[in-house]
Order: sequence, then structure tokens, then C-alpha cells
Amino acid sequence: MSGFSLFEKTSSFNGVYITLMVNRMQMLYFVIIMPVFLIYPYMIWIIIIVGLLSQINIFMLSKWFNSNYASRGYEGFAELFGERSVRLLSFIGLGFILLKLTVITLGYVEVTQHFIFPSLNTNWMILFILLICWYVCSHGMTPTIRFVVIAFLSTAWMFLLLFNFLFQPFNSIHDLFPLLPYEWTMKSWKAVVFIFSALSGPEYLVLLAPWFNTRKKVLKYMTIGNVFTIFEYVFLFIASLFFFGPHYLEENRFPMMEMMRYLESPVFERIDMILISVYLVNFVFAISIFMLLFYGATRIALKRTKDQTTKSGFAVCCSIVSICLFINNELLWKKATNQNILLELEIWAGALTYLLIPLFLFISLRRKGRV
Amino acid sequence: MFRKRKSTGIGNRVERSTSQKNIPITLEVLRERIDNMDDAKIIEHQTQNNKLFVLIYVGTLIDDARVNEAVIEPLQGCVNEKISDCISVSEITDISTLKEAEKKLMLGSVLIFDTIENQLFAVNLKNTTGRGIETSETETILYGAKDSFTENLEQNITLIRRRLPLTSLKSEKFTVGSQTETKIILMYIEGLTNPDFISIAREKIESIDYDQILDSSQLAAFMEDHNHSMFPQFQQTDRPDVCAFALGAGKVTILVDNTPFALNAPISFFHLFQSPEDYINRWIVASFLRILRYFSFVLSLLMVPIYVALTTHHYQMIPLQILFVLVDTRSRLPLTPFWESLLMLLTLEVIKEASLRMPTKSGQMLGVIGGIVVGQASVEAGFASQVLIVIVGISAIASFLVPNYLINKANTLIQFIILILASFLGIMGIFMGIILLFVHLNALTSLRQPYLAPVAPFYGKDWLDLFIRGPLVWMKTRPEALHPLQKWRYSRRR
Repeated sequence: MSGFSLFEKTSSFNGVYITLMVNRMQMLYFVIIMPVFLIYPYMIWIIIIVGLLSQINIFMLSKWFNSNYASRGYEGFAELFGERSVRLLSFIGLGFILLKLTVITLGYVEVTQHFIFPSLNTNWMILFILLICWYVCSHGMTPTIRFVVIAFLSTAWMFLLLFNFLFQPFNSIHDLFPLLPYEWTMKSWKAVVFIFSALSGPEYLVLLAPWFNTRKKVLKYMTIGNVFTIFEYVFLFIASLFFFGPHYLEENRFPMMEMMRYLESPVFERIDMILISVYLVNFVFAISIFMLLFYGATRIALKRTKDQTTKSGFAVCCSIVSICLFINNELLWKKATNQNILLELEIWAGALTYLLIPLFLFISLRRKGRV
Repeated sequence: MFRKRKSTGIGNRVERSTSQKNIPITLEVLRERIDNMDDAKIIEHQTQNNKLFVLIYVGTLIDDARVNEAVIEPLQGCVNEKISDCISVSEITDISTLKEAEKKLMLGSVLIFDTIENQLFAVNLKNTTGRGIETSETETILYGAKDSFTENLEQNITLIRRRLPLTSLKSEKFTVGSQTETKIILMYIEGLTNPDFISIAREKIESIDYDQILDSSQLAAFMEDHNHSMFPQFQQTDRPDVCAFALGAGKVTILVDNTPFALNAPISFFHLFQSPEDYINRWIVASFLRILRYFSFVLSLLMVPIYVALTTHHYQMIPLQILFVLVDTRSRLPLTPFWESLLMLLTLEVIKEASLRMPTKSGQMLGVIGGIVVGQASVEAGFASQVLIVIVGISAIASFLVPNYLINKANTLIQFIILILASFLGIMGIFMGIILLFVHLNALTSLRQPYLAPVAPFYGKDWLDLFIRGPLVWMKTRPEALHPLQKWRYSRRR
């Protein structure tokens, strides 16, 4: 093994990893704030319908995984689109990756500040999280992908804690009505875009295709991940509707976390603090993957794919991400009151990437097939 | 510059060894070689037909009684032309180089110099004295086999071969250490163990270039994939039944001469929590005990950091009744929770280490004095709270449940790191520490196999013998994580 080879394929992963990655990448920051954007009970249908739309995207992505281009990574893309176009796409992709990285990191940091350390300077928290992610990334792509199992096992059970909220004596079935909308407003459309954006993430897996050895049943594995996510979203939304009711729901900034504050334990009073801290595992995994993708995309954009990965190159990329995070935190995130520009941008950007990437790949494959 | 110097060094070594090869073996040269060695002997005798032969040996390395019986007496009554024909010992070797002669001499052979033919022979009469087979002290169990490895390599191989009487159980011999010439045996079951493990182990042993290999842990240090990790990447055991079990599962075992500890690989982090007794107890009991071990490991790692996190940053997390007790005990203390805990943990480590180094009886006494007197005195003097003493005590006892000593020591260091993180970032710091620990373990490998298997990578079937010890009848296959060539444990299913 060479000295510092971040993208060396030391082992390949089976379909279970695809399931876990699809699910965990869809369960990031947006799941925490999801009820605030949905509010009305009929939005349960939006989750389900957008989930089905997401399934179409998953189908298109699975076609890419089944193609001969997928396993060849960069060479596959270059053959399909041409080197120049791939470099251009990588350059554009850098912005999207950076935006996603920024929003999930700053969003999580804001949650920790709100619930655990109200007086802490968030820059310190960003620094600590980034240091952990650098450490994860420094081991390379293979261990980082393998880390998804730990991320899943550490966090996937959390929604079960809210199961109790479905059966509280104060719950009223009327909180789940109306299940059909009286009117369809701009807010409803925004909810659609939000959920579509929240379910985004699997489109980045096309960049990790060389690390997966499953070709045949990839659709099945991706579908399981997607269905599990939709189930979690629906469950959490119903639980929050029962707990807060639609009228009080929009008054909360982080309804999921607020619900967890009410969990009781004989040993600790504030379970939410522990759960927020544990959820860091999922964020560390996702941020690390995106940081590695950022470095990979930079290498492609700068035409350095043939060269060995270097510590200095990786350090420069990490520094760019860090600086970007600190600046965005100071200038945009902290000052945001009613409307957070970065969050709005990410909602649209996430939806756009999740719509266009699978579609673009699918059409390209079909066209290539005809030629 | 360094490379140049290095290559010059190797050149010198090659030159010296070539020149040594060319030196003719004469009695004078041999005498010169053993000059100033008090225990080396040179004895001259004559055969019945007046042939002079000279015996050269190191008295402390060979069995004196057998020299007379196997060499001197047969040679004195020898009437044959060739001296070697008169000796009935099976292991007699012709020596052609001086280096070979020196090596044989120092490994317990008697050199016989035939002055007429000008020939040199070596007869292996190695002194095999050593301690007998005793009960393992590091991995004690109530039920099950009581024998353990000794410093005698051949005996250790016998102990394994008795348990696995298979011709497919192969044992490859290597010699490492330019000074120590330590014999290493690599054992595996051919047709079962993944050939990759065998070739990796072989490659790693052959690449060792060091002067002294005195212990199996030293060998492990040269063979490990990650030298800077606190976690052992080889299972060290002195129990032959553990080695037989590992071999049967598809691992390789490495035995080192003059060491009672064998090395098993590849291992995972979870192997370090398994005890030989797990497979003797009823599966439900064994599973409970195994879970208890994991729980204790977590407890020993996190109890003190949680105390620091809660008392420093998160008073709101403590239930009211406990908070009253804490406020009462902590109100008179001059130190912050972090310094209070750090000092107590350091004191505890000092006591633990001192009681290990002291003779057994004094060690026990020290433990009592350290535990009761220092603990009580520090509370009365106002340096530590009673709550902390209880927490440190439970944490220390919990740490003893982990069967592997090496992980126990690693545990202490990790505890200190998490303690520091807890003092800065409270509960968040603790989880950051845990994440770092997971990330580190996730990147580790043992014989290039993932250290966190079968969790990451995920092998569902192996979970039957992971956190629990499932019933043996259910464990129909060998661990998937080891990629054995024979999957089924039942011979009829294969």
C-alpha cells in the first residue's frame, strides 16, 4: 500500500452498505427541522408521494450502477461525457458539495448550541467536528464507507424512542386531520421541494460506485434504504403532529429535539443532550464522505486524476472547506433570523441535484445505448 | 546520505559473512572462537583403532550425561573407519562452514572433529531442561483444560498437535533475529485457513530484520499493520486450547521459541472480550457474562468522564436527589471536578502498577492500603468527594472484567483522553472521544483484515458469537469474517 492513498480500493462493499448509505445520507439535518416546513397533517401524503418520486430517481440511479461505466469511476464518466465535460461538471459539483457540507455542519452545530451549549462560540464546535472528520478522511475512502455501519447502528434506533409519543393519553386523532388539503399554497409547494431535497443524498453514491461490488440487486438495496427513510419521516412527522399539534408545531425551531427533551430516564434528566451528541456519528460520517468527494472533485477539476493523492492537497481542500464554514457561519448562519439564505439555497440545490443527476445519467446511458 | 551509509553497512556484513565462509575449519580456529567461554569444553579421545577425535561443546547448553552415553562411549569402542558410523544418535549433521559450526555449537550440539579425515560433525544433544507444564496464570478458568504453554517450542507444538491430530495442520519454521536466532513456527490448517493470511504472515515474518526477538510480543510489534495503535492486533495467549480453537476457525497461530505466549491472527476488537470459559459455560450464562464484559469496558471507560462532564457542564442532567448529594459533597472541595478526577485516577494507576510489581503478598497488602487508606484519607482531607471515590472504585473494578491485559492498559489511556475531552466539551466531548475511538478501530487491521469485523464490515452470521455466545449447535459455519476455505463446521454438510 502506498503512503497516502485516499482513494485506493482496498476492499469492496456489498449491497447492505448501499442500503445503509442511502438511508443515512437522507437522514441528516433536514430530518431535524422537517416538521417546521410541513406543519399540516395532509403533508403526510407529500412525504409519501415525494418518497415515490424519490424511488423513480433510485431506479434511474440503479441503472447507472448496473452499467459498465459505473465500476470504472472517473474513467467511466470520462468515456460517457468526455474529459472536458467531466471536469466542468466536477467544478460545478464542488459548489453543490460545499453547500451541502456547510448546511449540514452549521445546522447540526446550531442544534448543539441551542440544546447543549447556549453560550459556546459555534466556531469552536465547527473546528472540533472538522478535526474529527479530517481524521476519518485521512484513513481513505474504504474505511470511511465502512464507517456507515457504525453510523447506522449508533443512530438508526433513535426514532424508536419517540414511539411512546404515539400512545400518550393527551393525543387526539383530530390532530391528524385534515388529511386532504383545503387549499394548495406556495407553502405547500415549498414543502414538496423541501422533502425532495431532504431525500437527496443517494445521487452522490454514483461517485462511489467503484467501491461497491453489487451490480444485480442494487435497485433492491437502494429501495430498502429509501423505504426505510420514508417510513422514518412519516413516523416522526406523525409523532410530532400528535405531540405538538399542527398549530403549535410551527412555533418550534427544532420540534424533533424538543420532543426528545420530554423523554424520561431514572439516571439522566436530559436525554436529548445525549441523543444529540450520539447523532454526531451520522454527521461525522456524511461530512467525511462529502469532504473526500470535495477533494476528489477538485482533483478532477484540476486535471490531477492520474497523480497520487497528497497530504498537502488534501490539507488545502480541508482548509478551504473550513474557511468556507467559518465565514458562512459568521456572515450568514449566525445572522439569519427569519430566513436563512444558506438553508433556502440548500433546499433548492438538494432538490436540483437529486432531480438532475439521476435524470442526466439515465438519459446519457440510453443515448449511448442507442448509438 | 543515509541510504549510502546503510548500503555500506550491508556491504560490510556481506563481506564479513563471505570471508567467514571461506575460513577453513581447523581445531585452532574453533579453539579461537570459544576462547574466554568458561562453559565451553574441548575434550580429546581415542577410538579403539587409535583414531583421535575432539569433542567441542558448551557444557551449559547440552545434557552432560548424554554426551557420555551417546557420544564418548560409542566412539571409544568404535572400530569403524568413519567416526560418524559409530554414533547411533539420529540427529547427526556434517558441518562444512565455520558459521554453521558456530550456530550448531551455540544451539546445543556437540561438535566432533575427526582429526584423521579432517571432518566435522554435529550431534544435537540440546539440554531440554525447563519448567513443566503448568496452569495458565493470565487466562485462568474454573472448568476446562488446565495446561498452558511453556518456553519449550517443541512441547508447545505437541500441546496443539494433541488437540488437532491432523496431517493438514502445517507448521512452517522460520528463524528471526540476527543475534538470538529465534525459532518461529507458523501453524495453520491447510485447506481451511485462507491462503492470504498464510502468505501475509509468511511475508511479514520473513521481512523481519532485527538483532533480538526475545518474546512473541516483540515479534507481534514487527508484524502488526499499525504500530502506533494502542490496540493489540494479535491475540496473545498461553492456552493451547485457545490456539486449537483459533486454528480450527481459520486463523494462523505463531509460536516463538522461549516464549510461553502464542500469537493468533487475524483478530478483531471483539476477540479481546472473549474468554475460553465462554465455550464451557451454558450459552445463556456465557452470553450474559460476555455482555457484562462489554458493559464493564464501557463503564470503566466512561464513568469518570461522565462525572466530570455532568458536574462541570451539565448539572441539569443530574436527577434532583443525586444533585443534592453531589452539591453537598462537592461544596467543600478546592479542586475542579477535572483535577479531582485526574488526581484520583493517577493515584489509582500508581497503586495498580505498584501492586503488580510487588511480590504477591505485599501486592495484596498494597492494594488494601491504597484502596482504603488513600481513598478514605483523600476524602477526609478534602481532596476528593465520596461520590468520586465510589465512581473511581467501580470504574477500576469494572476494568478488571476485560480478559485481555493489553486492552486493559489501553483502556486506561483512552479514559484519560476522554476525560480531557469531557472537561472541555462535556457530554459532547465524551461522544467525540467515542467517535474518535470508533474511527480509529474502524481503520485498524489485523493481518490486513478489518479490526471491527463482523460489525464493520458487517457479517450477520458471525453475530451469533459476538455480543452473545450462541448455542454451539447453531454455530454451523465458521466465522465469515475469516473467509475460511471450509465454511461448514459439520463434516456432513461440506
